Amino acid sequence: MKLLALMKKEFARFFGDPKLLVTMIIPGLLIYVIYSIMGSAMFGGEEVKYDFRVYLSGESQVVEIIDDALADSGWTAEFLTLPAEGAQTVEEALDRVNSGEADALLVFSDGFDDAIAGTGTATVPTAELMYDSQSEASAAFASLAGNILDSYGRTFELTMNDFAESADIMRTTMAGILPFLIVIFVFSACMSVTLESVAGEKERGTLATILVTSARRTDIALGKVLPLACVSLIGAASSFLGVVLSLPTLMGISVDVAVAGISAVGYIMLLLNIISIVPLIVAAIATVSTLSRTVKEASGYTSVIMIIMMVLSIVASFVSGIGDWVVALPILNAVVAMQGVLSGATVLWQCLAAFAINLFYTALLILLIARLLSSERVMFGK
Amino acid sequence: METQLPAEDEEVVRAENLRKTFTLSRKQQRLERTSFARKVAVDGLSFAAQRGEIYGLLGPNGAGKTTTLRILSTLIRPDTGDAYVCGHSVTREPQKVRDAIGFMTSELKLESFFTPSYLFDFFGAMHGVEKETLAQRKQDLFARFGIDRFAEVKVRDLSTGMLQKVSLVVSIVHDPAVVIFDEPTNGLDVLTAKVVTDFLLELKRMGKSILLSTHIFSLVEKLCDRVGIIIDGKMAADGKLKDVCGEMSIEERFFEIYRTVRGEEA
Ligand SMILES: Nc1ncnc2c1ncn2[C@@H]1O[C@H](COP(=O)(O)OP(=O)(O)OP(=O)(O)O)[C@@H](O)[C@H]1O
Ligand SMILES: [Mg+2]
Repeated sequence: MKLLALMKKEFARFFGDPKLLVTMIIPGLLIYVIYSIMGSAMFGGEEVKYDFRVYLSGESQVVEIIDDALADSGWTAEFLTLPAEGAQTVEEALDRVNSGEADALLVFSDGFDDAIAGTGTATVPTAELMYDSQSEASAAFASLAGNILDSYGRTFELTMNDFAESADIMRTTMAGILPFLIVIFVFSACMSVTLESVAGEKERGTLATILVTSARRTDIALGKVLPLACVSLIGAASSFLGVVLSLPTLMGISVDVAVAGISAVGYIMLLLNIISIVPLIVAAIATVSTLSRTVKEASGYTSVIMIIMMVLSIVASFVSGIGDWVVALPILNAVVAMQGVLSGATVLWQCLAAFAINLFYTALLILLIARLLSSERVMFGK
Repeated sequence: METQLPAEDEEVVRAENLRKTFTLSRKQQRLERTSFARKVAVDGLSFAAQRGEIYGLLGPNGAGKTTTLRILSTLIRPDTGDAYVCGHSVTREPQKVRDAIGFMTSELKLESFFTPSYLFDFFGAMHGVEKETLAQRKQDLFARFGIDRFAEVKVRDLSTGMLQKVSLVVSIVHDPAVVIFDEPTNGLDVLTAKVVTDFLLELKRMGKSILLSTHIFSLVEKLCDRVGIIIDGKMAADGKLKDVCGEMSIEERFFEIYRTVRGEEA
């Protein structure tokens, strides 16, 4: 009951002040706007008129649909059925795509349309789309044609072959940088609400008023950390969305392509990791805030923690092959787990272990705060 | 919150040989003009306050009054000795002591963002007061001290006098048997000071036992049934006001005692 009242008070203070709430959401918005502008500036946001050159092997009605869709976007395409001028065989057509003379090669299996209609042979029809995402035109065609083929019904197998290594490069960069960015943004979100939590109340003399009541010290500690973690989560989520939504623009690829790279489980894992580091960071900053006599002092110590954490996450981001023991390290375990998710190597146990271990550390810190609240030297030392 | 009222003439507060030393930082040593790293704030203090009475700790600056009251309200622990509030030890059962006392001092502040009504409910919950009891008490106390019209005004918008009343009412939200009050009228203008002294007399009428500290002679004369004179952390004289003073005024008696304790200085 006392815990409930303490938590309610913390929430009331926060949600009763719209300004505080806005300060939580603004960082995410800013990140999104700034990064998107940076992205469009780097990759040129203006409309490009494409005239594609695409080789075809086999035939299908899909080609017409693609052609119509291209026309809708104001683009045109020349479809060359093999054998054609410049390329007699599939191999030669591939060379053309590779050398940039053509934008893509579409290979349909024999009797593709009949097979899809269900009147043909028993073998599963296949369609292959080969392109080179390093060429903007090729990537644009692949994303459009790929979407159409995708939505054309799942009765055939679609393979998309990208010659360029860039998709991989994109994923590695994203895997390296995103967890680092997430940790930084989550940290600043937590810091903006937690920094003054205890030290501020000490300064204002409102903490002692609670300490003379018979409320348990653990309840007081929990009553601070839990609501602040919830509020920080809003800020963290806002920053996270800002990063995730602007990253594709920043790297010059479409949102669909970026999002498609990560599975639903992957997103849940990411979220789980964020959810587990928020209370931990809040508890850590609250501990510092409890130990400090003034908010100013607390902010000094917290920036030291922030720098240490930044350095460690950078190290974790760029040093590969850290052993499994990293799971035992708070925060870093989440950074490494998120990297795993983003690079496609989702390791479920790592995410779950990081989640559990971070919550365990959070519990320890809450007990520590409760101890500090009963310490005369920490509370009333001059 | 129920606190058993001790029988008539029973001691509600008893301090036994309390001693408290503080470690001084370099800066504090310079301020106190001493090279000793430790400062004895309370030095073997013993006294008892009776039920239904107002007990005043009278002493000059730095005598150890605040330190004593903070020990009694469980904010700090004595080095040695112990104190009992309604029979509960401040060192061994601080939780029970906290429910038995209302502690008032300018050191304890209310969050200015909230309203008196909200804070009353919040601190009621902190002491585990039942909802219905709490609502009843709020109505009674707010009406009695004229807070009802300001119940929904944020604390930061209240006048100093009203804020003082709110702080006082909030500190007795749980109907404590004992009220401990450090320097009740310090820094207050005459009007606000009267609010506070009236409040204390009202509390006494309500059957509360009150322990206060002050360095103002007139306040002792006006309010106190018993007085303890503290000098340098030690109890110099203690008892019923008229027994301590005899034919003298409290002021004359205080300086007489002070001269005896401190020698020629005074
Ligand atoms: N936290 C502390 N650290 C160091 N010294 C302290 C601390 N608290 C009190 N003291 C010292 O202990 C002595 C007694 O202080 P206390 O506040 O109890 O006196 P007081 O009787 O309340 O005086 P005043 O009338 O000035 O309020 C003083 O010398 C003071 O400087
Ligand atoms: Mg004092």
